[in-house]
Amino acid sequence: MKFFFHINLIFLVSILTSNTFAQNQIVADLSQENVKIATDFQGAKILLFGAYDGKKGDDIIVIVTGPKGLVTVQKKEKILGVWVNTKKVNYINTPKYLSISSNRKIDDILNKKTQKISEIGLNNLKIRIQPGIKVENEGNWRQALTRNMLKSNLWSINENSVTLNKDSLFRSYLELPSNVTTGQFEVKILHYRNSKLVSQQINSINVLKSGISAEIYDIAQNYSTLYGIFAVLLAVLVGWGSNLIFRKV
Amino acid sequence: MYYHNLRNSIENFMYIYLPIAEQPIHSLVILSIGAFLGLIMGLVGVGGGFLLTPLMMFLGIPPPVAVASVANQLVAPSVSGVLSHWKRSNVDFKMGTVLLLGGIVGSSIGVILFNFLGKIGQLDFVIKSSYVIFLTLIGTLMFSESLRLILRTRKGKVTRGKLHQHNWLHGLPFKIRFRKSKLYISILLPVLIGVIVGVLAALMGIGGGFIIVPAMIYLLGMPTSLVVGTSLFQIIFVAANTTILQASQNQTVDIVLATILLLGSVIGVQLGSRFTNILRGEYLRLILSSIIILVSLKLLIDLVTVPTDLFSVIISR
Repeated sequence: MKFFFHINLIFLVSILTSNTFAQNQIVADLSQENVKIATDFQGAKILLFGAYDGKKGDDIIVIVTGPKGLVTVQKKEKILGVWVNTKKVNYINTPKYLSISSNRKIDDILNKKTQKISEIGLNNLKIRIQPGIKVENEGNWRQALTRNMLKSNLWSINENSVTLNKDSLFRSYLELPSNVTTGQFEVKILHYRNSKLVSQQINSINVLKSGISAEIYDIAQNYSTLYGIFAVLLAVLVGWGSNLIFRKV
Repeated sequence: MYYHNLRNSIENFMYIYLPIAEQPIHSLVILSIGAFLGLIMGLVGVGGGFLLTPLMMFLGIPPPVAVASVANQLVAPSVSGVLSHWKRSNVDFKMGTVLLLGGIVGSSIGVILFNFLGKIGQLDFVIKSSYVIFLTLIGTLMFSESLRLILRTRKGKVTRGKLHQHNWLHGLPFKIRFRKSKLYISILLPVLIGVIVGVLAALMGIGGGFIIVPAMIYLLGMPTSLVVGTSLFQIIFVAANTTILQASQNQTVDIVLATILLLGSVIGVQLGSRFTNILRGEYLRLILSSIIILVSLKLLIDLVTVPTDLFSVIISR
């Protein structure tokens, strides 16, 4: 893979120097566009690399956003000496994966206001609480959401993780943890000059279950009764078989 | 470098991604836990289900998946056990059938309850707290019983109790004759026992051997020689019914997890039944009950200590 990476770099540099591509553009590619969750899946590390038409002091921010959906935050309270979940808040439109990477501290690249407008940063995401629920101390719940998503490695902030080279090449490793959800992941590469967006490009990663693991999951979801019967038959067979085998030993 | 790569790839190979639990797990760890509990089962004669589910939860498997998959794996050792008890003519099929009718009703109720508790977000809590209650109960009973036996045999006294006692339970209507067990009792009693065990099986992922065996001896007054075989017979059907219902209602049966566990357990059971003569039963039960008490303590501590984070998140699929 390293070998190919170098070839790609040479290729990109040659494009850059030959002036064939227009001003203010980013060209990016991923070492892997399809991430397959098979029986040996333990997470994935994807190389994002490319070239940009940069000047000294330019910055690159990479935002990877996974599928969005419902995430519930629960709160425990002490009842009769034991801790029980008593309250919950549903957040809709919440990314189930999010990583924000940059070549230096995001606060140094953009001021707070721009971060908020461009929805960069965990607190600037436009996540809504399910309508119809009244929530006290909303800030606490939102903090809890962020804290827990960070803890499970599904959300991450990786400042200084984008490597820039000669103001024209960049690369960054994107890490997907083993508990990642399946679906379409958007990879947005943003190129800033003096805090202004110069150019951007969007790539995508498709995370899907594959192999036996995927088939088992599909069958369990779509033919659930049949799956249950099969699971029982398998157990009966093993139990019976072990009796036959070990009887003679 | 090469060695390192080789070792890495073997390490990677050992990890198996569980399709329903949606996480990788070390296959050898699961296999040896299965074997260990099978060993206990073979040695002591009671199922390891009530230890297996908590151990799975300690490993980070979501409680609903742990419960349903353990119910699935229970089918295998029960089938294997019934076959060998059948050969020795130690199964009362009539009693077993009455028990399992109750068991099927009970496990169906249990799965519905399971689904409901999941919806209101209290499932994990109910599973864990019922484990604390039952493990503490069983652990202390077993511990004191085996300790008493050890002390008594040391003193050299052997006492023999009545075959079985008659109480008000034997006065219930709808009496039926169970020839094999030499009993003439109301059908309501075994059905009720079956229902209770069925609910617990579905909710906790256990065969219920540790509840049904004492109930059969003390409440029904069945001969001890028939108890284990008959309870295993009904467990097959209760566990099978639970597995199918959990799979169809809640999609929580992880067949990969269950298969690794049951492969481990059938090996363990065979090893265990071979070593029965090495250690005396009372000592084994003393060790087992200490493990049970430790597990329930660990679960209890998890429930009562202040959580590091009061908040937790659930990501819907």
